[in-house]
Amino acid sequence: MSNARDVIIIGAGHNALVTAFYLGRAGLHPLVLERQAVAGGSAVTEEFHPGFRSSTLAHAAAPLVARVVQDMGLAHGGLEMIRPDPVVFAPSADGRALVLYRDTERSGQSIAQFSRADAGKYAEFARVLVRLAGVLQPLMLKTPPALRALSPGDLWTLLGAGRALRGLGSRDMFRLLRWGPMAAADLVSEWFESEPLRAVVAARGIFGAALGPWSAGSGGLLLLRAAFDPEPASGVCFARGGLGKLASALAEAATQAGAEIRNNAEVAEINVRDGAAVGVNLASGEVIPARNVISGVDPQRTFLRLVNPTHLEPGFVGRVRNYRSNGVLAKVNLALAGLPSFSAVKNTRDGRAALAGRIHIGPEIDYLERAFDASKYGDFSADPYLEVVIPSLSDPELAPAGKHVMSIYVQFAPYKLRGLEWSRERETLGDTVVKTLARYAPDLPGLILHQQVITPLALEERLGLTGGHVFHGELALDQLFSLRPLLGWAAYRTPLAGLYLCGSGTHPGVGLSGASGANAAREFLKDWKKRDRR
Amino acid sequence: MGATPRYDAIVIGGGHNGLVHAAYLARAGKKILVLERRHVLGGAAVTEEVFPGFKFSVCSYVVSLLRPEIIRDLGLPRHGLEILPLDGTFAPMPGGSEGDYLWRVNDHAKTHREIARHSRLDAEAYEEYGKAMAEQGKFVKPILGMTPPDLSRLSADVLRKLTFLGRRFRDLPEPDQHNQVQLMTMSAVDFLDQWFETDVLKATMSASGIIGTFLGVRSPGTAYVLLHHYMGEIDGAFRSWGFAKGGTGAISNAIAAAAREAGAEIRTQTPIAQILIKNGRATGVALENGDEFEARVVSSSVDPRRTFIGMMEPGHLPDDFVEQVRHYKFRGSSGKVNLALDALPDFKCLPGPGPHLRGAISISPSIDYMERAYDDAKYGRYSRRPYIDCVIPSLTDPSVAPPGKHVMSCFVQYAPYHLKEGGWDNQRDAFGDTVIDTLAEHAPNIKNIILSRQVLTPLDLEREFGLTEGNIFQGELSLEQLFFLRPVPGWAQYRTPVKGLYLCGSGSHPGGGIMGAPGRLAALEVLKDWN
Repeated sequence: MSNARDVIIIGAGHNALVTAFYLGRAGLHPLVLERQAVAGGSAVTEEFHPGFRSSTLAHAAAPLVARVVQDMGLAHGGLEMIRPDPVVFAPSADGRALVLYRDTERSGQSIAQFSRADAGKYAEFARVLVRLAGVLQPLMLKTPPALRALSPGDLWTLLGAGRALRGLGSRDMFRLLRWGPMAAADLVSEWFESEPLRAVVAARGIFGAALGPWSAGSGGLLLLRAAFDPEPASGVCFARGGLGKLASALAEAATQAGAEIRNNAEVAEINVRDGAAVGVNLASGEVIPARNVISGVDPQRTFLRLVNPTHLEPGFVGRVRNYRSNGVLAKVNLALAGLPSFSAVKNTRDGRAALAGRIHIGPEIDYLERAFDASKYGDFSADPYLEVVIPSLSDPELAPAGKHVMSIYVQFAPYKLRGLEWSRERETLGDTVVKTLARYAPDLPGLILHQQVITPLALEERLGLTGGHVFHGELALDQLFSLRPLLGWAAYRTPLAGLYLCGSGTHPGVGLSGASGANAAREFLKDWKKRDRR
Repeated sequence: MGATPRYDAIVIGGGHNGLVHAAYLARAGKKILVLERRHVLGGAAVTEEVFPGFKFSVCSYVVSLLRPEIIRDLGLPRHGLEILPLDGTFAPMPGGSEGDYLWRVNDHAKTHREIARHSRLDAEAYEEYGKAMAEQGKFVKPILGMTPPDLSRLSADVLRKLTFLGRRFRDLPEPDQHNQVQLMTMSAVDFLDQWFETDVLKATMSASGIIGTFLGVRSPGTAYVLLHHYMGEIDGAFRSWGFAKGGTGAISNAIAAAAREAGAEIRTQTPIAQILIKNGRATGVALENGDEFEARVVSSSVDPRRTFIGMMEPGHLPDDFVEQVRHYKFRGSSGKVNLALDALPDFKCLPGPGPHLRGAISISPSIDYMERAYDDAKYGRYSRRPYIDCVIPSLTDPSVAPPGKHVMSCFVQYAPYHLKEGGWDNQRDAFGDTVIDTLAEHAPNIKNIILSRQVLTPLDLEREFGLTEGNIFQGELSLEQLFFLRPVPGWAQYRTPVKGLYLCGSGSHPGGGIMGAPGRLAALEVLKDWN
């Protein structure tokens, strides 16, 4: 295998690019193979209508891990990140709106119109989250302990976590331990009395997951997100020119570090010999030998589609099959002739600026829960929970002058419909979304020039996300940290020598943070160096 | 009042845990007084002749996990405890004129054939599943017998317990470790989906995961309760899964007899108004009639809210402790309908009398059915089509009904304590009718054979049995209220911020069900503090 590459990385999603960068920086020359015409995976910007650009899927980045930003020199590249403030605009049915800012004081003033008590509690809640995040954040950049047969490194991680936990003092420590398995709805009702605030905060516990606010464990997801962004209502984080700009910045950094990225190069199979990965076959038929393969695609696609399962022990394959990865999120992109006028805006002190951040449609806990209920029976929500952004407000380049782009996450839209076909339901879903929004912005329907609806099925077909799950697998207690993707295989390694995982199907695996990619690179390089010494 | 007798310990509440607690302390030679509000002992584990000649296990109706060590230590069989087998679970299904059913019994071969009728794969998987669960049960059982570690202080005891648990986990075979973490984190349905394909099988099995909780079969955290069934079954030494002869009250009476024999004094119809506290220490109790009793220790078997907020003057407890107690969740989700029957119910899917009526009859025909029942409750109404778990003890124990007649007790979920519209007092009958209508869909003759019916709503459970918000386990058995978090974080060792005041009821680890474990463990802690 003299002509074999050192490393092939499958997929050029943001995590894979981060991995590629760190490998390049360590002196390797990873070959990154991307199925699509452009790098970025879920974070590519496309012109979905002449003159209108939006992200196919991800429309905002979770704040990238600071160390990744620094290492990859993203700050002083051409990349400009935009963090709009106000952070959240949440209209209620009664025409009022809850507006949250980066400054809790200001948020308090808006919260007070619903509850004076909540205004005060919000500030306290924010402080608690910051303290808890202080303990959780470091864990995001750690390799989860194996739980069985703890390595010295694992013990160190656990001891460190334990020490940090006790450092919080009993009160916060128990908060952390209690909130994890809790239902987000219970968590927020322990703090707040006003529905709009409860709903906005609890929504962080269900976004992208097959959970309702009453589902136990949604509190844990809320905490996981807080680890990356301790603001009670996470703010959006745009890249000027669209999120694709972030992807291309990552790609450029990786390339400069020594990685080679090939687009339009779809990997059809991972070749295995004697229990070790020895390269890949491309759909084109080209065979590329390699000593190591790192997969940025989801676990099920990796082990059930790219690897011939006969190379894997049946018990393992069975567990991969049981890995839950049926998405509930759809995406709608709208090209608008003008800025829709949300009636509640006039009741804010921000004017149109109120719309610059996240527009949260899901005014009550029960509303969110009902939206979830539909998905349990294989139907999509009649009144969906929506996370909406109008990036063109802070980045006019994305649309022709005076016109706007609206990007909408839609929950709940289950990958598996019962008795229905997504191919036929696509437009119905789009109309449902517009109808829902029109309740808050009556003039919206008249402004729509073009409507792009991306169902979970389309997410699977276009982006290769198994089950259309945007996070490469369900974000539930049984699939997080040491259990992501599987107990015993949370260290980015796999049962096949030389095959690694670096995508969102590994810890921490939530949002565009780059953490999974960075962790995977660290583990791979550990093994690489060991082998070097021999 | 004259010279008040001085006791070593006063136990508040004569429920099964209070009695177990008293028995263990009395056996240690302490002077114990048990004070029960009602005219009958047993709390939620009582038998009452609700209608002349018909004796009902009014609330709790099956024995699942009564700890073998307690049965041994207190010699309960000698005091009249006799457990009769409860064999099988019969789950009728709607459909057509007859409909189908799934009937599982303890006889493996039979059950294998029966499940194979629905799915050969599932029949095979069921064997595997049973073995796996039994292993998991063995892993968990010691936890039921241990006082949870107090993570807020790093004592040698805490480290010992944590390493003990760590080692046990590490020593499990890999597949068992996998199952264990899944059981602790998954929903019952997600867990069962990995094993089985038959909807009704998963539905009736998952039902055990939601009993007494405000969760649905798809809510994470419901899987681990699946274990309880298997733990019951593997306490093989003494059959501990079934009915008590003479009704559930017979268990309480046996425990009471053991306590009295050991010298404990037990008084009924003595409601307590307040726990007496002098400079941070519990000194006794004051009755509603004004009498006062002094003791070195007060152990409360009533729930935490009743104990700390209902029976105490404010100011004795730290604010954040009180806040935690207020956060402790009850929100009862179930009711009980007790029926006096003139004859046996006749099921469309399996007509006539027969052994299928001797076990549990579970109205849980599909997962969607269970979920829709839950959805109703989430939005503040009782289930239009509830999950019902029925037993007809008179088939196994004729002593509880007149000759030829029968008692049928129906556990009903969901019946949320907090209704969005109206109150329970004017919905009790409608609720009862809903239960009967639901049963009638499977056993049409039910309406014609009912001699009398008793409907217990969550509100009734609270009023009559002192179960706050009608929660049958004295507080929800959800992950954040278990083990070292039960009832409130940092206070899971049966002690309280008030010196000399202990908790010994289901509101403490390991929680509800007729286990007796909280009563026993609390007693051991009290004795530890005394020595």
